[in-house]
Amino acid sequence: MFLALKEIKKEKLRSGLIVAMIVLIGYLIFILTSLALGLARQNTDAINSWGITRITLNDNANVDMRQSFLTKAQVGTLTAKDALIGETATVVKSAKHKQVSAVFMGLRQQDFIARKLGLESGRRVAGKRELVADTALKLAGYKLGSKVTLNDHTFTIVGFTNNAKINVAPIVYGELSTWQTLRGIDFGPIASAVVSKPGSTRKATAGTKTYAKQTLIDKLPGYTAQTTTFVMMIAFLMVISLIIIAVFLYILTMQKLPNYAVLRVQGIPSRVLVEATVAQSVLLVLSGLVGATALTALTAVMIPASVPMAFDVPLLAAVGLGLLVMALIGGLIPIRSVLKVDPVSVIGG
Amino acid sequence: MSSFAVQHVNQVFGTGTARVQVLHDVNFEAEPGTLSLIMGPSGSGKSTFLTIAGGLLTPTSGTVTVNGVRYTDRAKKAKDALRLSEIGFILQAYHLLPYLTVADQFKLVDKVKPKGNLTPAALQNVLATLGIQDLLHKYPAELSGGQQQRVAIARALYPDPAIILADEPTAALDGSRVKVVGALLRDLAIRHHKAVVVVTHDSRLVDSADVLYQMQDGVLTKQN
Repeated sequence: MFLALKEIKKEKLRSGLIVAMIVLIGYLIFILTSLALGLARQNTDAINSWGITRITLNDNANVDMRQSFLTKAQVGTLTAKDALIGETATVVKSAKHKQVSAVFMGLRQQDFIARKLGLESGRRVAGKRELVADTALKLAGYKLGSKVTLNDHTFTIVGFTNNAKINVAPIVYGELSTWQTLRGIDFGPIASAVVSKPGSTRKATAGTKTYAKQTLIDKLPGYTAQTTTFVMMIAFLMVISLIIIAVFLYILTMQKLPNYAVLRVQGIPSRVLVEATVAQSVLLVLSGLVGATALTALTAVMIPASVPMAFDVPLLAAVGLGLLVMALIGGLIPIRSVLKVDPVSVIGG
Repeated sequence: MSSFAVQHVNQVFGTGTARVQVLHDVNFEAEPGTLSLIMGPSGSGKSTFLTIAGGLLTPTSGTVTVNGVRYTDRAKKAKDALRLSEIGFILQAYHLLPYLTVADQFKLVDKVKPKGNLTPAALQNVLATLGIQDLLHKYPAELSGGQQQRVAIARALYPDPAIILADEPTAALDGSRVKVVGALLRDLAIRHHKAVVVVTHDSRLVDSADVLYQMQDGVLTKQN
């Protein structure tokens, strides 16, 4: 540590450039991770907010809630831990505001989802012509009391709720019977899905299939491709950062081998030189990560709410730790050269 | 018993037709308070002798003893420890660590070997003798060649070794500087009671030596 600190102190420009490079790599990885998480959450926020573990859909719906229709017989007997949902794509229109593509979710007001729905402002739905909308509509200019039309039917926004997005589209919650009206099936199927909390004793019915929540999420259009792309990007960035950091530290260490040879002549054990090399890697990377964290925190404060980024501290800490481990591996690459340094090389001029 | 003894050392490099014997039955002794000068032309085996004497190379045969401890066949770690505590090196190019101040060059030794080094007062005395007591906060790049050499000498003395091995300490120095360095090395031997061994091809140092050796084609001969 002594040698590492002294060298960093003396070689401020060189150390600063390496730290700056690590800051940029770390910042890029943190921002990509936050973007990936933000987008993932925009796909799954609503589903996760319901607190469900299972979903029952029509077995011909290919795990797509929008394509699922359940008859009264298929719904069967519900318990207090089950809820009905009717989902359909819609466009929210208003004379004063721009149109917003959204997802309508019809709920029975006595079911746990409607009862548990957290409101950012306003009140819960109390009638067939009322809606509670995701705050994305608020950002688009809609207000409590705004009159909107969905499929030529007029509704009033009576409340706003946070984190109500599915497949990146904002949700407007309304009555389950409204869903039937919007789909034009007033006398047909009564819901798209039955969602269940842990402990539900609801029995399976013919023509339906029950899936785990994660299966539903994974089958959301584009979700798996999107998350896999981000994970691959982050993984490649990690590997690239490992290579870049390793190359820099290798060059840095190679330049010091004549100095290390002198220390070996003096009887300084190889262990001290290895410790100095590793400590230098850790110090430089930690400094870089601190800088990257500061930049990310600044970004989190300044970024507009409309940008789908989620800054999850445990996840970012894990990514930072991953970078540190990568840097340690990179820092270990020149160790073999340090251990093999030949003190005789500095004898005899 | 001598504080430093090299006995029947042979060194062979390569095998078969590439076999070269660099040292032939070399014997050498040095006592505290004496300055021994080993002279010889380039390629005569002086550097090989120095690397073996300093425990950096294990000879093909023969032994090296420091203060009664035979360390030729010891493990690398033990040799490191012995070198750190008993042998001070003064290298031709001074080779001070560029990112350590003069004071830090000594602190590094403290980090690795916390005990047995010169006391602060003794170090101050050495620095004053060498005329570098005001340079403690300077980096090597801020020092002249002569100052760097004196720092290198102080660094070699700091662990309070029994032996000082100097490798071509006057290479590229003019006549007046050679005299100064010769006097410094002699001072190390007498005032600090060290066995100082200087390997050089520079005959201008002869006047400073107590004992003179000649190395020729790997054969070491004591001169009268």
